[in-house]
Amino acid sequence: MIEILSYICIVIGIIFWFWGTLPLIGNRSVLFKLHSLSVADTLGSMSIIIGLLLKIPSEWSLLLLAIISLAIWNTVLGYVLAYCSSSGGNND
Amino acid sequence: MDTIAYFNIILRLAIWFLLTADFSLANIIIGVSIAFLLPRSYTSPGKLKDWLRVLWEIVIAIPQAYIEAIQIMLLPHNQEEIVLERVKPQRTPGLIFLDIFLITFTPKTIVLKYHERGWYEVHRVRRGKRHNKDIERSSLMEKSNEEMTQ
Amino acid sequence: MDSILIAMILALLIPIYEAWQDDNIWQKMLAFASIATKTSIMMLFISVLRHDWSIGVVAIIILSVGNAGLMLLAHLIKRMNQV
Repeated sequence: MIEILSYICIVIGIIFWFWGTLPLIGNRSVLFKLHSLSVADTLGSMSIIIGLLLKIPSEWSLLLLAIISLAIWNTVLGYVLAYCSSSGGNND
Repeated sequence: MDTIAYFNIILRLAIWFLLTADFSLANIIIGVSIAFLLPRSYTSPGKLKDWLRVLWEIVIAIPQAYIEAIQIMLLPHNQEEIVLERVKPQRTPGLIFLDIFLITFTPKTIVLKYHERGWYEVHRVRRGKRHNKDIERSSLMEKSNEEMTQ
Repeated sequence: MDSILIAMILALLIPIYEAWQDDNIWQKMLAFASIATKTSIMMLFISVLRHDWSIGVVAIIILSVGNAGLMLLAHLIKRMNQV
């Protein structure tokens, strides 16, 4: 049962990855791509790690640290990239 | 010692214990002494009530982020716009950082810039057809600049 | 499990392709940020696959040190554009 649940989490994460990374190739603005990347890289990766956590609960401490640092760093990097790219002159 | 210093030490201790996962007495002593010995900066204290509310908002933000992600995935959100949001009064820098974190964490909104006089510039995507976004964006920027100067 | 790993590698190819074909520096930065996160998640996944936690600890250290270098680079590029 838990095995199936962990697979579902990992597969959802990979679907998020693909959905959020494919817009990178098109020519939209940096900010629009940043929105879809935050879906892919933050939320998708979080759900993959939760899937791994269900698989190997004995290493919960390391995986929990991974989730926390992933959420904080990716969000802060998104803000820094948005700030720098919007006030650096060229927007697209 | 104010609340942000407490949070600082709690964060350090959490990283230490999660990385080592060892609750023996020696390890606890090492972790606590490292957490107190590392240098820390001094900031102005915020109200404890504000901190608790922001912590609660973080707990809410995680499921909300997933809901917004699914909404974006199912329905096309093609319109982009830049909005100005007011910062709530009497915020310390730590609380403002957490606010920016919360806004950026949800997939539909990203904070672009924080103005010193109490405004966030928030970029968000909306549902609808895409039409000539450059013109729209520049006019929005002008309008927001006018609002700023008033 | 192997098919999941193959899917991850395919997803990793997308930002690599984007970093190669786009000349705009900010689009390149976005692609690099995406590559960094995806590689460390793949390291975690491989360590679970092979039951080897020394790989996993390295992945977690990479994740928790974070993309500080990329942030510094972003500020540097912004300054260069202003000059």
